Amino acid sequence: MNAAARHNVVVHGPPDAPPMLFAHGFGCDQNMWRLVWPAFADDFRIVLFDHAGAGGAERSAYDPERHAALDGYADDVLAICAELELRGITFVGHSVSAMIGVLAAAREPERFARLVLVGPSPRYLDDDGYVGGFTQADIEELLESLEDNYLGWSSAMAPAIMGVPDRPELGEELTNSFCRADPEIQARFARATFLSDNRADLGRVRTPSLVLQCSSDVIAPQAVGEYVAARMPDSRYVLLEATGHCPNLSAPEETIAAIREFVAG
Amino acid sequence: MSDAGDLLEETAEELFEEAPCGYLTTALDGTILRVNRTFETLTGHDRTHLVGQRTFQQLLSAGGRIYHETHFAPLLRMQGEVREIALEVVRADGSRVPVLVNAALRADDEGRPRVVRTTVFDARDRRRYERELVAARKREHQIAQDLQRSLLAGAAPEAPGLTIEVAYRPAVEGLEVGGDWYDAFWLDPPRTIGLVVGDVVGRGLEAAATMGQLRSAVRALASTGLAPGELLHALDRYARRHEVGQMATVVYADLDLESGRLRYACAGHPPPLLLEAGEPARYLPEGRSLPLDALAAPTARAGAVASLPPGAVLLLYTDGLIERSDRPLQAGMERLRAEVERHRADVPATLPSVLVNALTAEAKNADDVCLLAVGRTA
Repeated sequence: MNAAARHNVVVHGPPDAPPMLFAHGFGCDQNMWRLVWPAFADDFRIVLFDHAGAGGAERSAYDPERHAALDGYADDVLAICAELELRGITFVGHSVSAMIGVLAAAREPERFARLVLVGPSPRYLDDDGYVGGFTQADIEELLESLEDNYLGWSSAMAPAIMGVPDRPELGEELTNSFCRADPEIQARFARATFLSDNRADLGRVRTPSLVLQCSSDVIAPQAVGEYVAARMPDSRYVLLEATGHCPNLSAPEETIAAIREFVAG
Repeated sequence: MSDAGDLLEETAEELFEEAPCGYLTTALDGTILRVNRTFETLTGHDRTHLVGQRTFQQLLSAGGRIYHETHFAPLLRMQGEVREIALEVVRADGSRVPVLVNAALRADDEGRPRVVRTTVFDARDRRRYERELVAARKREHQIAQDLQRSLLAGAAPEAPGLTIEVAYRPAVEGLEVGGDWYDAFWLDPPRTIGLVVGDVVGRGLEAAATMGQLRSAVRALASTGLAPGELLHALDRYARRHEVGQMATVVYADLDLESGRLRYACAGHPPPLLLEAGEPARYLPEGRSLPLDALAAPTARAGAVASLPPGAVLLLYTDGLIERSDRPLQAGMERLRAEVERHRADVPATLPSVLVNALTAEAKNADDVCLLAVGRTA
């Protein structure tokens, strides 16, 4: 099966326009971009996808070994880029996908024209003077929260989610479906995300980058966004008025304006 | 009636303050704008310390805060509401209360979301019970896994000129173990060995237990010297009499290590594949009968004879290796044969895992896969 089908790739906009690739973060799926991508669909070839284990990605796309580290997710991004023959990409990554984009751009810089990093964090854990905002115990608590919240993942729902077509009546009640995921995979993705350390990778990226930092973001605090911008050789830093971790949902206009200004040069 | 009538004359204020759940209104960024008395009691915080002072997220455990930002808040934005989210509130004294939370966006006249209304239910008992259920399920899974592992363990026969290699890959998907098993044992040392690969219907503890019974039954029957067809006939009667292993499939073979004579029989099981030096790989198509306990009355079962010359390898496997929902079984068998040809130069020790990897690369996790490779060295 090809990468586009594996990752539920959805393409909009003029086919000969430069590509803009949107990558969603930990928790939900490509729907996270639905208030943002339409603003760029006239000037860009929009490419949306779901990470392995998330949203509408094929079950078989997830490999517990390969996806134990963010490099595995970067592999997937590059596979999609290669298959769709994307060049001159504007990569827009939210949350953990900001770092996935950093890894991908470090590996194949020739593909990427720009990186837009929304709420990036290269290291979520506090570490020897570095303040990521979380401790190992916090992450264990998150894993408990995940275990307590099998969102839309009761055994009755699993067949619909896994694409077994013989129970159409389940299709209608996909409450929480944007954040549905196999709890096992979700827990593994949480580990891959929150235990990663990509601080050393920031300096390897020469691609012009924009750091979009939210005000009072508990997942990626301001100091972390500043850290990222300071360590990337060619980066701009914009502090949004938006609060929280998902400006793509809570403040799409502001997010769009910031990206627009960046891509305009 | 009149007493109840008096009580029903509650003001909206009383209904709000004394509602049997915590109730709060927050700004979109979570800043608390209003709480009721039940919420004060639940959290141990006085409203003067909450309203305008804190966000709802700040009252959650650190893990819950991450969950809030990565799941709860996005879902609320996308759906307009979220229901039954399990979180933990950290009380003023530092203790924690498991809660269930519902929330809905409240929009203004122009449809723009303005505030979030949230109800918070004390869920101490429920959470304890749910965690017990999850723990029980994990325990059962662990038991089934241990049982399966213990049944699959045990030393295979060792003899000069004989190689026995196994690849066993349980389905990753789901929480339950499957029902594939393999076995290799001495029948008449040091001359004859018995070989088994089987697949019982179902998953979990029950499948593991069934597989254990059939495995023991095969070993017991084999010790009486039955030929493979006879053995499967006897196993069929056993399955029927004791109501165990209905529709299970089994391949049984015995191998004479001196002459290379191989007797085999398949009850509903995919055919063995024989790889001889200098010959194309070929399936052994004979000795076939239906799965165990598939007919109203057990009937005689066919067995067949082949030869495993020095340098040859015999492959016994379960259908997880060749079966895929998106292609006919025949195509899967062709694929296996092609992969065997491609990897025929591999040393016997690595052949099973190489084959399993090659054949399951595109469709991981679907089913258990078991592959037993028995070789005679040249």
